[in-house]
Amino acid sequence: MAINTEKLGIVLQNFVTATSDVQGAALVTPDGLPLAASLPGGMDEERVSAMSAAMLSLGERIGQELARGGVDRIYVEGDKGYGILTSCGEDAVLLVLADQKAKQGVLMLEIKRAVAEIKLILN
Amino acid sequence: MVLDPHDFMAKMADRISFTSEDRALLKSSASWGAEIAPDMADRFYSFLGRDEEMNAILNASEGRIHRLRETFVDWFAEMFTGMEDDWGTSYADRRWRIGLIHVRIGIGPQHVVPAMAVVVQAVGERLRAEGKSAALQDSLSKICMIDLAFIEQAYVEVTAAAVLKETGWTEGLFRRLITSGAGTM
Repeated sequence: MAINTEKLGIVLQNFVTATSDVQGAALVTPDGLPLAASLPGGMDEERVSAMSAAMLSLGERIGQELARGGVDRIYVEGDKGYGILTSCGEDAVLLVLADQKAKQGVLMLEIKRAVAEIKLILN
Repeated sequence: MVLDPHDFMAKMADRISFTSEDRALLKSSASWGAEIAPDMADRFYSFLGRDEEMNAILNASEGRIHRLRETFVDWFAEMFTGMEDDWGTSYADRRWRIGLIHVRIGIGPQHVVPAMAVVVQAVGERLRAEGKSAALQDSLSKICMIDLAFIEQAYVEVTAAAVLKETGWTEGLFRRLITSGAGTM
């Protein structure tokens, strides 16, 4: 069955608009191709997608090498906010961008919900 | 991403028009090739050794330069014989291995290409001095360029394959990163 990209786009858009302090999100393939994105203006969707896939994959390799088990998420904390990468199964990676005011507990819970919804669409 | 040595060899032979006449000519001079191989090895490593960084690499471990020189002598002589399968799978596999060794010890194209030019020039001098035919020089130039392309392509392929292995990236992702990275340069 074909992937409903329109539905994926709506899920991402809703996630970005409805979650406090989230600035953008993108769903990409393990090859770094964009599936759906709602990113802040000025961000190159193609580059963001490639970097997101690269980072999650590298994180998973690091997890293996350092005997940390399966990687749930990759977390980048900068002085202007967060970038969080979460695997959505074998076919996709979710990137979420949030500002520094974001409440991490709420953010993780919202990401978990979004991932569950995305997985349903992908499967 | 890792290339098939045999396919690559066939493609290069076709691209450079390495014909059955070239092969026959080289085979007929195989003993001469084996005779001058040690001299060519000396010239190759003497050139490389003049570079401080390369000299350190060549002598980084006990006996390395000796082993490399032996490999060169064999490699050079094999250009005339095509090994046991007429420039086929064994020949291609061996060129692949040479590229792999170059990656492992850090002999990059920037060193190999000029050193190979020195060898080509030295071979040309020997051919002329010993009254060998221009046709033999052409055939030797062809196989030498095939081997050089092979060794350097193997260098690129092995380097990329090593990055993929260590990062877990897919080939598509790796190519995308290269394209997007190159686009920003």
